Amino acid sequence: MAKKEMKKMALRDTLGDKIFYTINAIFLGLVALIVLYPLYFIVIAAISDPDAVLAGDVVLYPVKLNFDGFVKIMERKDVWLGYRNTIIYTALTVILSIIVTVPAGWALSRNTLPGKKAFMIYFIIPMFFGGGLIPFYNVMSSLKLVNTIWAIVLPSILSVWNLFMTKTFFQSSIPDTLIEAATIDGAGSFRIFGEVVLPLSKAIIAVMALYYAVGQWNSYFNAMIFLQNENLYPLQLVLKEILIASESTVGGSGETILQQYRLANQLKYVSVIVSSVPVLLLYPFVQKYFAQGVMIGSLKG
Amino acid sequence: MSEVVMKGLKKVYDNKVTAVHDVNLEIKDKEFIVLVGPSGCGKSTTLRMVAGLEEISDGELYIDGKLVNDVAPKDRDIAMVFQNYALYPHKTVYDNLAFALKLRKESKEVIDKKVREVAEILDITQYLSRKPKALSGGQRQRVAIGRAMVRDPKVFLMDEPLSNLDAKLRNQMRAEIIKLRSRINTTFMYVTHDQTEAMTLGDRIVIMKDGYVNQIGTPQEVFNKPVNLFVAGFIGMPVMNFFDNCKLLLEDGKYYAEIRGVKFLLSEFQQKALAQNNTQPCEIVAGIRPQHVTVGEGDLSAKIEVSEMMGSEYNIHARCGTDEVVMLIPTVDLTTDVSMGATVNFTTRPHLIQLFDRESGKNLIWYDEESAANDAPVCKRYDF
Amino acid sequence: METKAAKLAAPAKQRAPKKKMSKERRIRYLKDNSPYLLMILPAVLVVFLFNYLPIYGVLIAFQDFMPGDKILSDSTIWVGFQNFERFFSDPQFWPLMQNTFLICIIGFVIGFPLPIIISLMLNAMKGKKTAKVLQTIFNGPHFISLVVLVGMLTLFFGRYGLVNNIAAHFGGERYSYFLESRAFRPMYILSSNWQDFGWSAIIYIAALSNVDPQQHEAAILDGATRFQRVLHVDLPAIMPMISVMLIMSIGGLMGVGYEKALLMQTDGNLQVSELISTYVYKRGLTGVPDQAYATAIGLFNSIINVVLLIIANTTSKKFSENSLW
Repeated sequence: MAKKEMKKMALRDTLGDKIFYTINAIFLGLVALIVLYPLYFIVIAAISDPDAVLAGDVVLYPVKLNFDGFVKIMERKDVWLGYRNTIIYTALTVILSIIVTVPAGWALSRNTLPGKKAFMIYFIIPMFFGGGLIPFYNVMSSLKLVNTIWAIVLPSILSVWNLFMTKTFFQSSIPDTLIEAATIDGAGSFRIFGEVVLPLSKAIIAVMALYYAVGQWNSYFNAMIFLQNENLYPLQLVLKEILIASESTVGGSGETILQQYRLANQLKYVSVIVSSVPVLLLYPFVQKYFAQGVMIGSLKG
Repeated sequence: MSEVVMKGLKKVYDNKVTAVHDVNLEIKDKEFIVLVGPSGCGKSTTLRMVAGLEEISDGELYIDGKLVNDVAPKDRDIAMVFQNYALYPHKTVYDNLAFALKLRKESKEVIDKKVREVAEILDITQYLSRKPKALSGGQRQRVAIGRAMVRDPKVFLMDEPLSNLDAKLRNQMRAEIIKLRSRINTTFMYVTHDQTEAMTLGDRIVIMKDGYVNQIGTPQEVFNKPVNLFVAGFIGMPVMNFFDNCKLLLEDGKYYAEIRGVKFLLSEFQQKALAQNNTQPCEIVAGIRPQHVTVGEGDLSAKIEVSEMMGSEYNIHARCGTDEVVMLIPTVDLTTDVSMGATVNFTTRPHLIQLFDRESGKNLIWYDEESAANDAPVCKRYDF
Repeated sequence: METKAAKLAAPAKQRAPKKKMSKERRIRYLKDNSPYLLMILPAVLVVFLFNYLPIYGVLIAFQDFMPGDKILSDSTIWVGFQNFERFFSDPQFWPLMQNTFLICIIGFVIGFPLPIIISLMLNAMKGKKTAKVLQTIFNGPHFISLVVLVGMLTLFFGRYGLVNNIAAHFGGERYSYFLESRAFRPMYILSSNWQDFGWSAIIYIAALSNVDPQQHEAAILDGATRFQRVLHVDLPAIMPMISVMLIMSIGGLMGVGYEKALLMQTDGNLQVSELISTYVYKRGLTGVPDQAYATAIGLFNSIINVVLLIIANTTSKKFSENSLW
């Protein structure tokens, strides 16, 4: 049916429309190229001969296939420790954040929640005003969380944005009458939540889990300020050392710099790939959920 | 025994908007009562107060003699069928039916027996293992009814249960509900905006508007003896013809209704009622049902604008001065020309004329304290 | 009629124990709804610990505070607005304000319209499947971490990176972009846009997908070209969304965070890459920490943001129907 209509529309296209569609497609194609090329380059650079990369021979395809970088990264214990740590932090964050966010979102979506207005204001204020970095650090330090994994996990288990997104989801996709029917059937609030609401909330739970997971997977700052023990470093912090730290100390003659590059270059390309693989592998499968989340959030409750 | 008694039931939202004013209603055991009215009239709110889904702002609600204002819905011994069915989408039909019993901690055998029994009655046994998504509208409707039935409630509440169905299915389900009623034999409270449903299903009908009960009565009563303009206009298809600016005359001790210059000597019981109330001559709105119009005689005349042959009857829209008159004329023995553009004489029998006070909209004959449930505000014209 | 009203009113009056009933009702209401309180409790606690306690901790901005001091005790030394005054006379004050403002305003000018244009173009694409694929591609970079993003920048813009290699190939000179202060802002802003334009477009794409196709059909019958329909059907449809996003953006005009800038800072570009937020980090957590001072600066920045947001919202309310609250 839709196809038929498209055909009919095609017949109606004027010359001007055709030009418009063509320019539009070309432009978007260029944008796609700008997005994809850097990512593509990382991949071909990682599997090319480092000297060829440095010499600028690698532009469109890999030159002299070389997988030394992957061998080298296998030997980096810090990377794998970071990997392990990040997986632990991410898993903990996801589990705890779902436990905290989803029931709270449900409660906030109920009009009978005592003091609903006050709670809403309570959660809205931090969206627009915060104490800032130093008081936050001091709180963490007086809670004795510094240099523990909880400094990484606990502050990340609730995002107010996500909470409101969850609330909006419940408001818009769980019909009131369903809850009323369950009430009449004799279910209490907890049972309704567990037996009626949760089974219908897989979409939002998936979205929330993904949001929190990606957030934790990609974050480095809290780890940088709260962790001194290198054995607790998450992947991003290790990556930071590999990718960036050397750059800021760049100095001296061109020869030294070049030497530095030669040593570290391939490892950098490879580490970008290795660290992003889980997210990139997951991405095509879950991207519709991510987008769904943004759309849920955009419906004004 | 399961009567429902409402005394001065009231619903006020946020101390501002009053959705339901002072409903007084006694529903007898095993009675089928229908709440009907246009949208926003408070009928659903009333039902939901009985269900316990809405807090009662004021007044008392008794079910089976017990004050239940502050009793939780599940302990009121009621069951409800929702307009959108509200089936649990993730549960099978079986589990949908069994849920309430499970919560009551009934044994597996009892649950199974009950569920199968009800499924048998509703003819949904073959769907028990399906999810609601895989059912048609009518089947979902049955499951929703079944979910209410398994609980053997004292009161069966239904909130516009048929309005999501298409016309054909609706007629079919309406018949089913009538059949069902004879089987489960309990008290029903049924909310609808559809007067046909109200007339065909109800033992008694409660007609509401703007939060007020306008009339409570059997289908015959509300049809034949509407207490005010609103009820007269709301009940009956097609809508009653109203002639504004008519007069009630009193000459030589006899009452006459003057409609568009034509005088009708009122019938015996009308004379009696008017005399009893000592009604003075006044301006009235006269109401004549389309079914009660006869053509080819009388002194009123109208020009036919639309004439629809419906088989056993003509549905005629005619113009009589400034009034539009709708007539339903049986085709049997019809000798008058009722084609489009023809001018016909028409009349009605005096005892079928409804007389409404022009000021208050009340029926001069039928309005009395017994039949009118409370002081619904003045309704000068039937308005939708 | 009168009598009837009286008759009905009477039982109402007899219901004397009204007070008692409302108390029962309140108890029942609380009992029925206390589970919700329990469900919301963990979230309240988390927000209290990590959002509200720091707000309380802001008090040290008005103190002579040493790390380890209690926020409120007998020995607390209150210094009023001294820390703020120090900041205003800090030689870094104007450069910081300027750097922060410029990076935000340039980022806004480029980053605000871009997703709108992209969403309109995607929506106007002929092949809906192609549009979906493109959207998936455009969203991709959003999931790259900041560390990796900046790492990629250093790889591409390093002295022997791709960009310099290409430039050298055409006879250009090699630049260390990360050591050039001129290059900082373009790199920062363009990479941010590269990463997030697709993601920011989702919200507009969602709004556009809700446009009634019949509106388009009516416009076609009226003789509108596809481009005219973009301007007269699509754009008006997302206007409310644009207003809301605009307000939020203006509220964030001084709110750029430290995470990315810190990663991109080098000795060479510090004069433009030092932002209020990174300065707060450095003064408060590195070297010899001056926490009270850093907190005061952070507070000053937050207050600017709130004020900007309120101004934006009030203005928007005045001139259109759109506002956040």
